[in-house]
Amino acid sequence: MTDEELAKDLGPLAALTIGIGTMIGAGIFVLPGAAVQQAGPLSAAAFVLGGVIALLTAMSASELGTAMPKSGGAYYYINHALGPLFGSVAGWGNWMGLAFASAFYMTGFGQYVVTFLPIPSLVLGGITVSAVKLVALAGGLLFVFINYVGAKETGKLQNAIVLILLAILAVFTVFGLLNADLAKLRPFVPPDRGVSPLLPVTGLIFVSYLGFVQITSVAEEIKDPGKNLPRAVLGSVVIVTLVYALVLLTVLAAVDNSLVAGNETAVVDVARLLIGPVGAGAMLFGGLLATASSANASILASSRINFAMGRDRIVSTALNEIHPRFGTPYRSIAITGGFILLFILLADVNTLANAGSVLHLIIYGLLNVSLIVMRVSDPEDYQPDYRVPLYPIVPVLGAITSFALIAFFADTIVLLAAGFVVFAMVWYAAYARTKATKQGILGKYLLQQSEQLPDAAVSAATSVQPDGGYRVMVPLSNPESERDLISLAGAVTKANDGTLVGVHIVKVPDQTALESAREEYDFAEADRLLEQARVDADELGVDMETHTVLSHRSFEEVFDAAETYNADLVVMGWGPDSHGSPGRAESAYEEITHALPYDVLVLKDRGFDPSHVLVPTAGGPDSDLSASIASVLREFCDAEIELLHVADDRDAGERFLREWADERGLGDATLTVETGDVESAIESHATDASLLVVGATERGLLSRLVSGTVVMDVVDDVECSVLLAERSRSRSIRERLFG
Amino acid sequence: MTEHVEPLFSRPLLPLANADDAELTCTTAFPRIAAADGRASVVHVIEKAGGAPDKAGVEQREEVADELFDIARRAADDAGIELQTDLRFATDVGDAILEAARETDASAIVFTPRGGHSWWDLFSGAVREELIRHSDRPVVVLPADNADEGGET
Repeated sequence: MTDEELAKDLGPLAALTIGIGTMIGAGIFVLPGAAVQQAGPLSAAAFVLGGVIALLTAMSASELGTAMPKSGGAYYYINHALGPLFGSVAGWGNWMGLAFASAFYMTGFGQYVVTFLPIPSLVLGGITVSAVKLVALAGGLLFVFINYVGAKETGKLQNAIVLILLAILAVFTVFGLLNADLAKLRPFVPPDRGVSPLLPVTGLIFVSYLGFVQITSVAEEIKDPGKNLPRAVLGSVVIVTLVYALVLLTVLAAVDNSLVAGNETAVVDVARLLIGPVGAGAMLFGGLLATASSANASILASSRINFAMGRDRIVSTALNEIHPRFGTPYRSIAITGGFILLFILLADVNTLANAGSVLHLIIYGLLNVSLIVMRVSDPEDYQPDYRVPLYPIVPVLGAITSFALIAFFADTIVLLAAGFVVFAMVWYAAYARTKATKQGILGKYLLQQSEQLPDAAVSAATSVQPDGGYRVMVPLSNPESERDLISLAGAVTKANDGTLVGVHIVKVPDQTALESAREEYDFAEADRLLEQARVDADELGVDMETHTVLSHRSFEEVFDAAETYNADLVVMGWGPDSHGSPGRAESAYEEITHALPYDVLVLKDRGFDPSHVLVPTAGGPDSDLSASIASVLREFCDAEIELLHVADDRDAGERFLREWADERGLGDATLTVETGDVESAIESHATDASLLVVGATERGLLSRLVSGTVVMDVVDDVECSVLLAERSRSRSIRERLFG
Repeated sequence: MTEHVEPLFSRPLLPLANADDAELTCTTAFPRIAAADGRASVVHVIEKAGGAPDKAGVEQREEVADELFDIARRAADDAGIELQTDLRFATDVGDAILEAARETDASAIVFTPRGGHSWWDLFSGAVREELIRHSDRPVVVLPADNADEGGET
């Protein structure tokens, strides 16, 4: 077996039982009492309606899952499609939604335990904690502990638990059918209230349909996800819906409604009546298993969501530390556990169910929107194996029904949901925006379409893009210049307290698919280069991340990579073999350089030696980048700076240069003023210099560099290394406008 | 009859469990391997549940593995020895380490005790026991203290 096969070892049955096991607990064992009390036999219709809404979203989740079988599931797709602002909403929503749901399952577990164990309630400091809550707290602690130490046996129990549950329910349903009397189902609709309770009850029982999305959070572990993921997701929703509706109808046809309505453990009493004590015992056992497996699966899923959020820097990566011995994400589990216990203490069972449902409904709505975004923007790497039928009807309906159902919850719950969304957005703005590294497909798409779209949409998209701190990207290709580039880029990174991003671009011939290249190519050389870069960055004390990028293009890919990794500055080498020869598609990067979103430094490397840096300036905003590079080199590389200004009038020139230097904190640099020809002045002073820093004197330095036309003769004529600096277009315009 | 006896540290396999373990094991063992003019293999095993959801995501634990191997590579650079890294997925960590040792024909399996609370052993299996009982090649347990200490040589 290959590693790939070993890593993906969840078979179709295991995947299916994660979904069924998470869902089946609530719908049958906890909620029928409350639902029947409000809606009578109509509550069976509420379960079917809930199932249909879930199924619409399940189709979207399946398509997204087969396209991106990644850890974190729903959060990952939403963050990927809609960007980190909505990613923050989805991540927090999914995480807290699971914590509320787990608290709900545990409270249900407590309701079952107190039917056979006489547990007193506890009075602590004037606050009474009911027996149900005591058991719920103990149960919550137990399952958090099990996940904390990662007892691997519990995972394997899931299949068995689900099969036992289905068997118990099948026997129960058969007994029910034998005693069924259809007359008891009439009136199907409560005579006093009509169909009005249908939607509120659907909202109440919707917590029974949260499990399918948990399958997607372990999507990366599923064998052959293209086939098994949709089967498990859709299959679990269909099976669970049928079981809910069938069991509930059978129960209501077999016994009086009054036995079920308001009864927390209704199915146990129904089984006692129909089958006797053995039946009651079996259903009791079933209720314990079902609520336990739901809570256990939810705690597990929430740690995957935390991991994916941490990877995108929506939350601190410290949350995802793996326990040195247990190999579990123990901090994430402990914190989730803390939330679960808190929620058990604070809220009653209906509030817990509602809060869990409403947060998941937000995610379901966003999932459908994400699917539409992915289909419309149609990125190259979006290749789902399963495609939603009847697009766009299904995702549009899925989004509308999910969001609309929220309106049928109690006002306090709707308020809670709204407050929660605001919290997640503020979290993004205040905490995550400066850290988040990933840009959403939607944002990219809007920015790309900026000419066709109204300005408001584009500026909205720009203002929510993550900045991820100051990021300096270095494309590395040549081992000889690697160290020089890292020293230079590292100094700038350090000065800005940022992150260094080393990128090695591997050119793949057009005939070879990128996927197969990824499997077949030997990356030993690339790894060595990046490893050496990491070692050098480490010496400088700079944080560094490295990426190997496979591309059919080489030079142009630098610009794509800079966008992908959110670079603020790109430091690249320039030489005959630096990045291959630029291709013919000049228009492509002319477009990029037209709206260059980051600063660029190009080093023509003749040995990087910053001991004597010559900075010619004619003033103007373009030489600002040269000035800031010079001060960085002075601070971190002990460079001696010489500023050179060529003027017609020596006195005026000296006054100008003095002022220019002072404004940029370079007052103590050697100031040289020359008259005459600019290029020959630069050339003659460059003979003493070790590095010449040239700002772009006119727009389009890069595109001219790329197309192979000589930028300035001096670059070739001087003997020292030359650093060409070109400032970000977008930023300089903004800075000019706003000072 | 004389048999050619291989030095223990000529081609050892070092199982690495976590970052601290990697740091300790590599800095303790690599100088000895360098002294024997040997080369090292390090193996990290990602424990799989074998058909059930894992306790932590695969992607998450692959990140841990990258981190371990980085530590090992740096230590190997410092010690000036050649290093091979091996990432495995298995339901039984001990078995996987023994298998890796067989496949690379390791001269020994070398590790440092992991420390920690004794109740942890209850839940994290006994890889150490497995290695000591079932290995078909020498198992070397290095003292957790720094190699320079002791001074008995």
